[in-house]
Amino acid sequence: MKIIDFFQLYDIYHAPWFIGAIVFFAINLTVCTLTRFLKKWKEVSRNNIPDENTLYNMKLNFTLKKEKEDDAISIINKKFKKKVYEGEDGIIFEKGSFNRYGVFLIHMSILIILIGSLVGLIWGYKGFVVLSKGDLREYFFLRGKEAKEVPFGFALRCKDFNVSFYPNGAPKDYVTRLEIIENNKVLFEREIRVNNPLNYKGLNIYQSSYGTTPAFVFKIDHREVVLKEYDEYEIEGFIMVPVRFEKAIHNFGPGVQVAFLEDGEPKTTWFLRDIPKMKERELEGKRVILEDIREELWTGLEVTRDPGTGIVWTGFGLMLIGLYINFFVVAGRLYIKRSNDVIIVAASGIKHHEKIQIEFEKIKRSLNGTDPS
Amino acid sequence: MELIHHKILGITTIVYLFIFFAHIVYFVVKKEIFLRSAWVLIYFNFFLHTTGILFRWFESYTLKMGHAPFSNLYESLIFFSWCICFMVILMKKRFMYPLISMFSILGALFFMAYASISPGVDKSIQPLIPALQSNWLHIHVITCFISYAAFLISFISGMLYFMGFRWAVLPDKETLEEINYKSIMVGFPMLSAGILTGAVWAHYAWGSYWSWDPKETWSLITWIIYALFLHARFVRGWRGKKIAFISIMGFLSVLFTYFGVNFILSGLHSYAT
Ligand code: HEM
Repeated sequence: MKIIDFFQLYDIYHAPWFIGAIVFFAINLTVCTLTRFLKKWKEVSRNNIPDENTLYNMKLNFTLKKEKEDDAISIINKKFKKKVYEGEDGIIFEKGSFNRYGVFLIHMSILIILIGSLVGLIWGYKGFVVLSKGDLREYFFLRGKEAKEVPFGFALRCKDFNVSFYPNGAPKDYVTRLEIIENNKVLFEREIRVNNPLNYKGLNIYQSSYGTTPAFVFKIDHREVVLKEYDEYEIEGFIMVPVRFEKAIHNFGPGVQVAFLEDGEPKTTWFLRDIPKMKERELEGKRVILEDIREELWTGLEVTRDPGTGIVWTGFGLMLIGLYINFFVVAGRLYIKRSNDVIIVAASGIKHHEKIQIEFEKIKRSLNGTDPS
Repeated sequence: MELIHHKILGITTIVYLFIFFAHIVYFVVKKEIFLRSAWVLIYFNFFLHTTGILFRWFESYTLKMGHAPFSNLYESLIFFSWCICFMVILMKKRFMYPLISMFSILGALFFMAYASISPGVDKSIQPLIPALQSNWLHIHVITCFISYAAFLISFISGMLYFMGFRWAVLPDKETLEEINYKSIMVGFPMLSAGILTGAVWAHYAWGSYWSWDPKETWSLITWIIYALFLHARFVRGWRGKKIAFISIMGFLSVLFTYFGVNFILSGLHSYAT
């Protein structure tokens, strides 16, 4: 228990050591990524054509007669659109050069996702609210170590709740029809179902569960009253509360225990629906009859606030873009070097070397280049 | 109830078996014609397999529970096999060696057979429960299973790397590494997309984009293993056995994410794929 308390294992994601570890990881990631990024930046701005031996040692190269230079440039420019260097000694062409920043985007997106989830951990919370048809609520219960009631900042009324099933008994749809009320005015009405939450004022309200609670139909001095467990009913100084429900008491059917005040003293008594003698009692001079016990549906709604979601979504998007750039953009460089008697054409792939090779072979064929010997 | 798509997929399974045998015969008698017929069969079976899946889709509508066939273990196994066949065709042009296609098709055959024979796999069309009624289901399942299929190919080339003996049909080690890396280049972005779309879906269905349910946790572990592969190769410059080993571990983690989590650990995911 001590260990659990010390490390706050009951709530790892809010524990200082966990957040500390994530922050440490994030700093590490940032530093690594930035240093690599700067190094690459320098690499890119260092644009000079390698010497002849280096070019001859590249896997892809050929030589051309001098007078073919203009032809070569126009053909090459179709595939390698960007010129990153042009000088006396030659030209450097490039394609897909932003490929090298894909890695940067991927790592930054991880960082952004971490920041977003941290924001959610610190400023977000989760709770729930349970409503039966007709109920109006302004508060929900916070989940966590101690249950706490938190105001929505508006009110919810459950207009209707329906569960439907497939013929094989599997659930088909849960739908809660909600009214959103502010300052005693109905602002709008919405249906929420699984996979279709309501987002209002930063709160997300999800359909999450449902169930039934008993509702007790009493007739108290000829007046019909519907009560649920712990609902207090008061009339002319008489107070009663249904406190306990049993589905079956021995084999006498369902019953409910009711607490009431007799001369200021709390007392309890049982009502059994199916036993005529036990469904009617005289309490404090009032005739109380348990007419029926109904199963009433309730809907369980999950309530969350997570101000970090937008940041996390941004991170997701950047990561997908980064992954695409890093893994699917064909990138490479092509060099033209003016040598004494010939032109050397050489290329190297940054990513997808084999695709660069295919393009290089095409260029070579259309120029009738020859292999240097 | 026996439906048309069960027949089509039954034939598909048998054709996978033929493709496997055609490879074996090719290795024994060394005649190109057998390899070529294996490939004809692969293309034909890809068509047949697709038809089978489309029929299941169509028949789910005739049974008034219409939905894309991505929603339970049976449907996911059938789709996984389809993805394997798809990857084999996709990688044919430059990276497909008969040993790789043989073992991949063997994998597809295994998952098809498992889907149709295992008593633990319910073959009937079931209606979609509310949590699965989402468009994110499709993109999530498609990206995940394409990545799994790519990782199967990476696993096969990783295993072949450890084959000690020299064998005429065994691609050389450099090629095996290349195939391994290329398949991870497809698998890693797809797995990432699968995890991210799963998170977005979870946000809409459960109210939280990440809840450390066992399937989520294991997919994260798998993702980290393949990230380790990429870093070991590109940052540390690792090659050879160490890299092959990581790709084997990665696929074992995929298998555990897919099956182990369903059978051993229970969580939000276990009703489905
Ligand atoms: C502390 C954590 C990490 C550090 C220090 C780190 C560092 C690096 C470095 C230095 C590179 C090489 C970049 C280059 O080629 O210039 C790299 C590449 C890469 N990293 Fe990370 N990384 C980390 C975490 C991750 C994670 C969690 C992922 C998961 C998506 C990831 C995905 C990648 C990818 C996809 C590449 C590119 C590999 C390629 O060249 O294709 N990294 N990382």
